[in-house]
Amino acid sequence: MMNEFSIMNISATGMSAQRLRLDIISTNIANAETTRTSRGEPYRRKVPIFAEYLKRSANGIMECVGVKVVRIWEDPSPFKLVYDPSHPDADENGYVRMPNVNIVREMVDLISAQRAYEANVSAFNVTKSMINSALQIGRG
Amino acid sequence: MFNTNFYTIKRAMDVSMLRQKVHSLNIANVSTPGYKRRYVVFEEFLKKEKNELKLLTTHPKHISKMDEHISPRVLIDYSTSMRNDGNNVDIEYEIVEMVKNGLKYQVLSRLMSMNIDRYNAVLRGVR
Repeated sequence: MMNEFSIMNISATGMSAQRLRLDIISTNIANAETTRTSRGEPYRRKVPIFAEYLKRSANGIMECVGVKVVRIWEDPSPFKLVYDPSHPDADENGYVRMPNVNIVREMVDLISAQRAYEANVSAFNVTKSMINSALQIGRG
Repeated sequence: MFNTNFYTIKRAMDVSMLRQKVHSLNIANVSTPGYKRRYVVFEEFLKKEKNELKLLTTHPKHISKMDEHISPRVLIDYSTSMRNDGNNVDIEYEIVEMVKNGLKYQVLSRLMSMNIDRYNAVLRGVR
């Protein structure tokens, strides 16, 4: 028999994955102008990589039980060069290496993550109302 | 003593709950690269079953009730690609189907309650 409450866990994995994505996008936006990190280079844009969460069920079949974050990938694309000789991090030619964060792209991703989160919330609510209506059976 | 509605409605509710699980999975994986949407096939099997000949059962150990061993199957749709990353989840479709399926489940649970009420009417006289 299938466990109805495991369906709620599926939506929960989706919600936490999208929340992590929102967190990372916020970090990217907050660090859009950060030229100094502990590694001595400007901030690199971070992207979470999602994958299907496969689990071996009791009868030995690999079953998908939601989504998981496999790793947080750092975008290797080149840094933006901005000409600003008065900046303390400028090189001898007057160029400053700025993070490879594109604010517009981050905003688009932010909205997409928010909508995906809301979709998971509505899936959770539908599951909840289904379980509730099953609990009402026989109550007249 | 009890009619087969209990069994029939239970099967329908189980399939409906499985559909809900599959919709939840598809929605949770809406931004997973390479994920292919899952879907449940059940009614098609029933239709096929209805058109086929039934076994004659003259002994309790004979195989009876063909629909008992029809079980819903979760299939993966490899045929389409919605986006560049190979994911083919259509979020609007999933949400609409999920809400429809949820309402269907509520109808079924109401039907189950009514079925129980009929027994109550007999057991308690008036209801």
